[in-house]
Amino acid sequence: MNLLEMNHINKEFDGLEVIKDISVSVKEGEILSIIGPSGSGKSTLLRCATMLEKINAGEILYMGEKAAYVGADGKPVYPKGQDAKRIRSYFGLVFQNFNLFPHYSVLKNIVDAPLKVQKRPKQEVYQEARALLQKMGLADKEKAYPCQLSGGQCQRVAIARALALNPKILFFDEPTSALDPELTGEVLRVIRSLADLKITMVIVTHEMAFAREISDRVIFMDKGVVVLEGKPEEVFDADHTRIKEFLGRYQRI
Amino acid sequence: MSFSVMLEQLCSGMLRSMEIFFLTLLFSLPLGLLIAFGRMSKNIIIRTIVKVYISVMRGTPLMLQLLVVYFGPYYLFGMSIGGSYRFTAIILGFSLNYAAYFAEIYRSGIESMPVGQYEAAQVLGYGKGQRFVRIIFPQVVKRILPSVTNEVITLVKDTSLSFSLAYAEMFTIAKQIAAAQTNFMPFVVAAVFYYVFNLVVAVVMETIEKKLSYYH
Amino acid sequence: MTKRWLCTLMSVAMIASLGAGTVCSAEEDNTFIVGFDAEYPPYGYMDDNGEYTGFDLELAQAVCDLYGWELEKRPIDWDSKDMELNSGAIDCIWNGFTMNGREEEYTWSVPYVDNSQVIVVSEASGIADLEGLSGKIVGVQAASAALELLSEGGDQADLAATFGTLQQFPEYNSAFVELQAGSIDAIAMDVGVANYQLKEKEGYTILDETLNSEQYAIGFKQGNEELRDLVNDALATLLEDGTFDELAEKYELTDMVCMAEELGVDTGAAEEAETEAAEADTEAEEAETEAAEAETEAAE
Repeated sequence: MNLLEMNHINKEFDGLEVIKDISVSVKEGEILSIIGPSGSGKSTLLRCATMLEKINAGEILYMGEKAAYVGADGKPVYPKGQDAKRIRSYFGLVFQNFNLFPHYSVLKNIVDAPLKVQKRPKQEVYQEARALLQKMGLADKEKAYPCQLSGGQCQRVAIARALALNPKILFFDEPTSALDPELTGEVLRVIRSLADLKITMVIVTHEMAFAREISDRVIFMDKGVVVLEGKPEEVFDADHTRIKEFLGRYQRI
Repeated sequence: MSFSVMLEQLCSGMLRSMEIFFLTLLFSLPLGLLIAFGRMSKNIIIRTIVKVYISVMRGTPLMLQLLVVYFGPYYLFGMSIGGSYRFTAIILGFSLNYAAYFAEIYRSGIESMPVGQYEAAQVLGYGKGQRFVRIIFPQVVKRILPSVTNEVITLVKDTSLSFSLAYAEMFTIAKQIAAAQTNFMPFVVAAVFYYVFNLVVAVVMETIEKKLSYYH
Repeated sequence: MTKRWLCTLMSVAMIASLGAGTVCSAEEDNTFIVGFDAEYPPYGYMDDNGEYTGFDLELAQAVCDLYGWELEKRPIDWDSKDMELNSGAIDCIWNGFTMNGREEEYTWSVPYVDNSQVIVVSEASGIADLEGLSGKIVGVQAASAALELLSEGGDQADLAATFGTLQQFPEYNSAFVELQAGSIDAIAMDVGVANYQLKEKEGYTILDETLNSEQYAIGFKQGNEELRDLVNDALATLLEDGTFDELAEKYELTDMVCMAEELGVDTGAAEEAETEAAEADTEAEEAETEAAEAETEAAE
């Protein structure tokens, strides 16, 4: 079954079309990477999928359930109340700049949503949170505040925070772009470990080698459209001018 | 008049000043938040009304507002005033005025919050109310604390304006004693009272600021 | 915008005050609310025990005692006295309240104190008469009778024009401090207040030339003759039984009270007693004469 289905999505900002009729689907257990030059619309696509941006055309389905669509009057329809809550619980998102809550300790950042949003039992939530921190290699940091952590540590807490809600699918929006180069490794290692656990992931990234190695499928986007889609080697080794140009620019940097 | 009688009189006046002070804070702090929401409302009518309200409250003297609140009901509707309404009018006037100032402080704090905090909370499933109460507001409080301290200290001194409604708070009594005794001593004592009270306010606010300095 | 609003407010106020009936809390709940300026000794001020007292307040208390009313002493901001009175928050203004020039604005009681507006200067200044004030800085209380007199349209506006500056003060105490400090040269004020202030201070003098002569009365809301008449009757009673003069003596206002003349009782209690004494004398003389006559007769 497709966990996520995005059909004929259009998104414009002030009349400027950023995403043009894109259709993407993600199967359970699949790892999908989205690559492409800056301004190609890949982050916007992710923001549409996580309902941070409203679509202008098309529909979004999670687990076959309609999460968003554009009605006959051209206005987007989004679920409300309990429906919205349920649909949001299907996915998690890891931001480029973490967006941890600075006034909460590391542990509170992770347990607050499961406790206050999902209203799960306290003991279970804390147990899971500590296990997650252990997995992230941050067992000794649960009492620390985000401002006392390095960028890489922050991003690992952010990943733990997203995982604590047990999402079906986890989105990463350029998870290493805000990090110093020497810190990207620890975050990529964590994501790789999640891949081993068969967690469904959609990753927008500029780490080409990482994308190639970890993904089941890669999408190359440019100027708001999907240019190439396929297995990593099919995309990276394709005899296509635009991807060659893009990858070539990457290697030079 | 002996010094002890004067102190006693000024102390009873100080209690009345503090009553105005605490009641004003009690009402104006929550009201200010409500007004701040109105000011940031998507509804242009609400937004405009609140904008005019804030501009009038900040653009006219508090003393004038007190007079309007107290005498307005009589002049506009012929309602009988006096009795307990005098004190009500003082609290109402002060609260309405200070709420306008607090509203702008809240707004500055809320608007300075990075959009990522809202987005993170939204993606994590927090409802709109939870988002504000659990994530945004605690951080706003930390941001606006220095400006709030400023307003609170001004409020201590502004309580003396309630004399325009003939409410015998501390400074009014100081003036009366000074007139009867033809000397300046009551003013000196009044100054000390205000200063000490403000010192306490400053220390309390500083303590709160320190308590919130565990993150930045 | 606020200004227009205030204008509307004021016009509504005027209409309202025209139409409003007699509001008197004295009749409703037996409380008589006197509005006064608590910084105006000896008429109304805070005494050594922290109680509001003064000639006017004690007189008001005496009136209340006659009728069994409860007196509420309400210190007011002098600048909002009209609003307090018109809105019914107070029943009257009773506080060395000058009626001259305001005759049409209030319903007045019988005048009970004759007060002149005088000029206080420091003895060292060498100012001896009103002419000497030319080019000087003269202090005056805001919204006071002296200020009205010296303002444009007042009887002494021409004199005020010769001053260097006419400086307004919220109350006399700070004016005296400035006089002492030399930052002003003179203060225009009521003679009663001047006497009170000078009692405690050295080195000041009151100019012999006065600005005018004026009278104090109790101001009621326009049209409230009913309450005014009640108070007038009570004052007449207090004059007759001597209470009024006692209070005047207590506050050293004996030279200034004028109610007896106003009421045409010219004599007052004391004089009546004198007359009686005189009559008694006459009777005694007559008796003496008779006795003498009797003696003469007997001798014959």
